[in-house]
Amino acid sequence: MSSPAATEGDLVARFTETFTAAGGVLLLGPVEAALADLGEILRAEGVAALFFPEDDAAAREIAEALVPFGPFHLTTGAEVRGGSAAVTAGFRSAEAAIAETGTIVETSAGGRTLLPGLIADVHVSIVRAASVVARMEEALAGFTADPPRNISFLSGPSKTADIEQTLTVGAHGPKKAIALLLA
Amino acid sequence: MGGRPLMELNANAFGRNSRKALLDKTLQEALGRTTGRFQAHRDAAVAAFPEFEATRERASRIKRDVLDHLDTYLARFIEEAEKRGAVVHVARGPGQAREIAARIARDEGVTLAVKSKSMASEEISFNEALQGAGVTVVESDLGEFIIQLAGEAPSHIIAPAVHKTREQISRLFERHLGEPRTDSIPELVAMARRHLRAKFLSAGMGVSGGNFLVADTGSVVIVTNEGNGRMGTVLPRVHLAVVGIEKVIPRLADLPTFLRLLPRSASGQTISSYVSIVTGARRAGDPEGPERTHILLLDCGRSAILEGKYREILKCVRCAACLNACPVYQSVGGHAYGWVYSGPIGAVLTPLLVGLPEAAALPDASTLCGACADVCPVKIPLPDFLLELRSDAREQGLKAPGEIAAMKGYAGVMKRAGLLEAIERIAGVLGQFFTKGKGIAGLPYPFSGWTERRDFPVPAARPFRKRWKIQRGVTR
Repeated sequence: MSSPAATEGDLVARFTETFTAAGGVLLLGPVEAALADLGEILRAEGVAALFFPEDDAAAREIAEALVPFGPFHLTTGAEVRGGSAAVTAGFRSAEAAIAETGTIVETSAGGRTLLPGLIADVHVSIVRAASVVARMEEALAGFTADPPRNISFLSGPSKTADIEQTLTVGAHGPKKAIALLLA
Repeated sequence: MGGRPLMELNANAFGRNSRKALLDKTLQEALGRTTGRFQAHRDAAVAAFPEFEATRERASRIKRDVLDHLDTYLARFIEEAEKRGAVVHVARGPGQAREIAARIARDEGVTLAVKSKSMASEEISFNEALQGAGVTVVESDLGEFIIQLAGEAPSHIIAPAVHKTREQISRLFERHLGEPRTDSIPELVAMARRHLRAKFLSAGMGVSGGNFLVADTGSVVIVTNEGNGRMGTVLPRVHLAVVGIEKVIPRLADLPTFLRLLPRSASGQTISSYVSIVTGARRAGDPEGPERTHILLLDCGRSAILEGKYREILKCVRCAACLNACPVYQSVGGHAYGWVYSGPIGAVLTPLLVGLPEAAALPDASTLCGACADVCPVKIPLPDFLLELRSDAREQGLKAPGEIAAMKGYAGVMKRAGLLEAIERIAGVLGQFFTKGKGIAGLPYPFSGWTERRDFPVPAARPFRKRWKIQRGVTR
């Protein structure tokens, strides 16, 4: 894991393992192949609305391509934030992913929004294989000089075991965390 | 929403509190289930992580360096945080902390605050301070939310509602939230989610604790599984973090070391679901995030601890591994300790924070078995500290004369091998003669309490030390 010679393939394999262990669902690209599976998972979760940040082209592309796979409609962050009742999936491309811990890294750097992974019922992260790093140190290295307001490590769905020590998902954040891994 | 009662200090009633806890059937069941599961998960996670010991050593070293230069690191933290737009406040004591918190809420025009878990805020009775300023405070950690509805105090650092059953929780949700009764845990979680989501979207202020303060970036790090810490630091227009000064770490690059230890030690997870590293206030161009960030740093007795022989207690990362490993905590739970912190860490920290006379009973709440030190991810010598505090209590005249006399007598016998041997021989003969080898059902006062619920074992006809001698003689 800490070997400097770890290839992209090794890192992706390790991330697949750890992200799944954290309770996440990993889908492998290409996009065309993954859309049907993704649509099925979202339908099973009762998702009706899809939203993506206006400035996130990759997220937009996938959300729009998914519409024919369900009875899904597109919505905006403002609607979701306003307390929309529809079950919602939020799409966002990840800044990085960490193989060690199965973590999706999202930040507010460059004015990016965090809402898709924060208030949606299902979070779909778009992860580029080349952005998977081995350890947490590498993910933080770029931020030491001047960190953005928010750096978030997201590892699997929102969990609680506060009632009778029974693991239950969807306490506050997404009930389901999906990573779509693309080349 | 009903306020939680003030965190009253009741530590010297440990004996009475424990008896009550031992007779509480629901609590006993919950404790058995929880501490056992936490321990098993922790042990499995540590076994699956070969670097654990090296990481633990490293974390302990970093924390010791922090304590040696706490003033420097704190000054750096404050400078970096303020440079990036946060407003930093320092409170010397709980009273000042309450004043500052109430003033922040008033100045920011806040009427509703959503709070994620913060043990430090419990120390200063934060909720009461804000309620006094006309602010409603809603706990958003599910366990904390439940006990806030019940009007109780947390009983475990990371599982505050461990003593409540799903039936009790459903009754609370029916009474306070108007929800229908259910025995489904996912449904209960969904009810709390709906109710609290509305609060997150309308609250003026999000209140959090902080697991770490990063000196070289001025960041506050918040680790949660539910995502409430994350929500409260992004959605409301004001964020207030209430954190003890000892939580500082030197560099952002040190954070992974601690993130590899905390979740594994706490719940056996490789990492918690959410780690939020928040730095300063919202930047120009950010689409969301609080307009104002306040960081309230609590001294509240910590710099006094730093000066003394117990300074290493300030290395604590509040993982609660020592609670789960402690046979005393496993038996009596958190409430018996009579204040914010329970288990071995509470038995040391409470007397140091509130004064030994107010909590002299707590260092006795240990068998000194050493399990706490074995699991501590930052290598705090908890059993040594417990022993040292007992000796402090004696020196300060906080021990009953009877106890001192008994211990003196015990020491006198144990130091004289001949005397001990004679007593063992007499006890052996008398024991066999009077009980015919069965347990002794009733001892005379002051030992009668011990035999109230169990038999005292009969002294062996041939004492251990004698058998040992013979054994060695034979094998040699």
